[in-house]
Amino acid sequence: MNAMSVILAMLPEHALLVGLCALILIEVAGGKGRTGLAVAVVAVAAATSAAIALWFGGYAAAPFAGHFSINPQTEIAKAVILALALPVLLISRDDFHDTRFPLLLLSSLYGTCLLVSSDSFLTLFLGLEIMSLPVYVLVLLALQRPESAEAGLKYLILGGAATATFLMGASLLFGASGSLALSAFPEALASQALMPRAAVVLILCAFFLKAAVFPFHTWAPDAYEGASVPVTAYMATIIKAAVVLAVVRLFGTAEVTPQLAGLVAILPLASIAWGNVAAIRQTSFRRMIAYSSIAHAGYLFFALLGTAGGRFQAVAFYVLAYGVMNLLAFSALPTGGDDAARDRIANLKGLYRRKPFAAIVIALAMLSLAGIPPLPGFVAKFLVFRNVMAAGHTWYAVLGLVGSYLGIYFYLRIIQFMFMSPQGEGDADERPRRLALGATLLCLVPVVLLVIFPGWVLGMF
Amino acid sequence: MSDAAILNLVLWLPVAGMALVSALPEERPDRVRWATFWVMALQFVLTVWLYVRFDAADPSLQFATRLPWIPDWGVAYLIGLDGFNVLLVLLTAFLGPLVVAGSFTAITKDVKLFHAMLFLIQFAMLGTFVAQDLFLFYLFWELMLVPMFLIIGIWGGERRIYATLKFVLYTAFGSILMLAAMIYLVWTLKNTTGVDSFAFADLYGVKLPVDAQTWLFAAFALSFAIKVPIVPLHTWLPDAHVEAPTAGSAILAGVLLKMGTYGFMKLGFPLFPEAAKLFTPLVMSLAVISIVYGACLALVQTDIKKIIAYSSISHLGYVMLGLASLDLIGIQGAVIQMVSHGLTAAGLFMMIGMIYERCHSRDLAAYGGLAKILPLYSVFFLLLTLGAIGLPTTSGFTGEFLSLLGAFRAAWGAYEAGVAWPLWLVGLAVTGVVLGALYMLWFAQRFLYGKLKAPHLPITDLSTREVAVLAAIVVAMFALGLFPDEPLSKTELAARQFQQLVETGGSAFASVR
Repeated sequence: MNAMSVILAMLPEHALLVGLCALILIEVAGGKGRTGLAVAVVAVAAATSAAIALWFGGYAAAPFAGHFSINPQTEIAKAVILALALPVLLISRDDFHDTRFPLLLLSSLYGTCLLVSSDSFLTLFLGLEIMSLPVYVLVLLALQRPESAEAGLKYLILGGAATATFLMGASLLFGASGSLALSAFPEALASQALMPRAAVVLILCAFFLKAAVFPFHTWAPDAYEGASVPVTAYMATIIKAAVVLAVVRLFGTAEVTPQLAGLVAILPLASIAWGNVAAIRQTSFRRMIAYSSIAHAGYLFFALLGTAGGRFQAVAFYVLAYGVMNLLAFSALPTGGDDAARDRIANLKGLYRRKPFAAIVIALAMLSLAGIPPLPGFVAKFLVFRNVMAAGHTWYAVLGLVGSYLGIYFYLRIIQFMFMSPQGEGDADERPRRLALGATLLCLVPVVLLVIFPGWVLGMF
Repeated sequence: MSDAAILNLVLWLPVAGMALVSALPEERPDRVRWATFWVMALQFVLTVWLYVRFDAADPSLQFATRLPWIPDWGVAYLIGLDGFNVLLVLLTAFLGPLVVAGSFTAITKDVKLFHAMLFLIQFAMLGTFVAQDLFLFYLFWELMLVPMFLIIGIWGGERRIYATLKFVLYTAFGSILMLAAMIYLVWTLKNTTGVDSFAFADLYGVKLPVDAQTWLFAAFALSFAIKVPIVPLHTWLPDAHVEAPTAGSAILAGVLLKMGTYGFMKLGFPLFPEAAKLFTPLVMSLAVISIVYGACLALVQTDIKKIIAYSSISHLGYVMLGLASLDLIGIQGAVIQMVSHGLTAAGLFMMIGMIYERCHSRDLAAYGGLAKILPLYSVFFLLLTLGAIGLPTTSGFTGEFLSLLGAFRAAWGAYEAGVAWPLWLVGLAVTGVVLGALYMLWFAQRFLYGKLKAPHLPITDLSTREVAVLAAIVVAMFALGLFPDEPLSKTELAARQFQQLVETGGSAFASVR
């Protein structure tokens, strides 16, 4: 460990840390929420730039050898995650007016950075917990309705269960291999003995729980509905992204063994199917997005079936496309009325007549999430299924695609409400939302790039 | 400007049109309408130029542009014209401005969005036809769903939501399976030759075992058959046609349905020749069933829009029959029939739209004797009816006759080789011509003659704008009927290439002997 590499290699993390300290000082000094938000935005932007710079420079180092290392791959993953946090911060203004939201968000982001850079189960665990703990608070912070308390509690308990499962798996793995290094995981994959295999299953289940993959998904709809818009956006995009990217790191270059193929194919497939079907009947927008995110978690874990070489590219691209489109939808959601009213899908009825730009933006997001070309969601899905097919899992890929067909209807339903229904209930007067508009525009930049130059973006991963 | 650049301009002009229309104020709808019309008219003029410049003696891809797009996967922006798509591009560009002009008074709600969607669908349809790269083709193919979903869903009739969802969900299901087949196909190309490419020309060379071909052909064919539509996958069509606004119906019947037959022609048959030959008896049988069943259904409809909707199923059956015959004349006839149906069906749908605008009813029983008060309307209606029936000198005759002739020649070849049933099948198809005359003439008789009645009187006859639109269509219809040599010569080399790719060697029924 040398001081230089600690400073340089952890530049994104340091930027977040500086921002955190500044936020605490502002909180102590009783500064305004606006200042806090501005500091957080600057810190996250700085961290993103640092990650991009490190990626661009091709820098690789292991400041804490065996526990934490960076290479261009980890840095581009961090850059994606951190960049996605910017619109989340910008849309938080409608729901949070003090420094607590940016403070908690930044600490959670710190956890995600650790997560995608970890080399040992210790760092991985630290990352998971630092990422999750602030979110438990964030869900409750929005407490505007009684359901939020229930949602927060549910999320806390199931998060605890995930942690326990993960620790159990990690200790079994330690018992079998005598090592806490992540490289023990691919070895355990190839092993025929019971203990390492049990460890693999437990660890994967813990990640399935965190990312809300069927049948470990039941907390997500409640938590998403109970939380506020920015927190839901954060959970649906960034947490999911970090968890899946961590799993990709965990798998390394190991191919999925035939015994395990059942687990990483069947559960994600079930997740795709169930998420897409259950979303159809929802009346709450965030609940619908929760089921949609369950389906998308399915695609993301499905990508693990793909060839080891293309796995990171597929997941990173998917996370970017999915995250941007989700945030685009959240940033354009109409405000006005109380939280419960805002959250109703019926509130979107006739939105095109009221706010054409917002309606078109949400429609784009929905079409992309449904995987309609030439939007980014299609290219991402194509990439995942291409890799799965290249790995020889033809029938799984076909089933996955058929599962994705199930999802078309409920996304179209949103468009139907916005464009084809007469004026809905949500005509309460709406505040001007400059920051949310900024978030929309910020998200539209990568969308345009992803549509026109998908090849160029693919080359970055 | 080079011709390749003009083709790019033709393709991208609608996107520029969308931007232009979005910039215009909603309060001045006429400006939006005229802007759309003139952009589309410009597009048509450019397309005519390309059509004239198209060299019938050159079998290679003309006016081609190739740019790498996603180099990692070998996806290229590869577009160009060949003997098959040149006529369809011309048809699409021809109907574009007419559809706009036909909707001047019909669409008063969300005018900007409507015209933007017309541009978008024009872009998607032209893209589907000119794309020579499977990824690009799929992109445009799917993109088409979005504007059509909105056109039917926003400006459609009472059951528009049901109809539009049915249309999208039907079509999307086929597309998903096509996507799976497409990924598998490209991956096989990569595995066997090491080439990463989506170009049609490269994919034609993939050698697949017959069982893999069967699966892949089934996936592609299902997707195309839904779009054509071939009975029994046709149930979305009457709903979509009836509920769509006039412009939507005209685009659907005029161009969109041809994307299905074009898909068979460009991809389904040549990509999987052995499987295609295995499926030929099935395809031909379903084509004949479509011809007869569609005609029978058209006969008993009481909704005037539904009559034309079911007649589309019948008319596209001829296209599939001619194509599946794998006979040179049959294939060329199929192309002509595609264009011919595009003209007559679009024209008839617009005429129904015009009467609906005046009377707000589609119930046939509510009309009668319109010839007494609407002489101009009746003249055009009868002319288009004669075209739809396939009277000699109209385009319908050329298309139907050549398709049937091709099918008959293939069936006769099979008969001489000892297989008799194709001959019966073709014989059955010919009865479709009689049924076609029956339902259309009966329709015209009840609609235009007899005792005068209409749900809303008095009715004004066609306006100058409407006459201009219909006259353009009727002139094109007769031009194609009277002088079919020129367009036929442009398709000949493409048809021969198609034959070569499917390697018929004379009979399409070799596999079932």
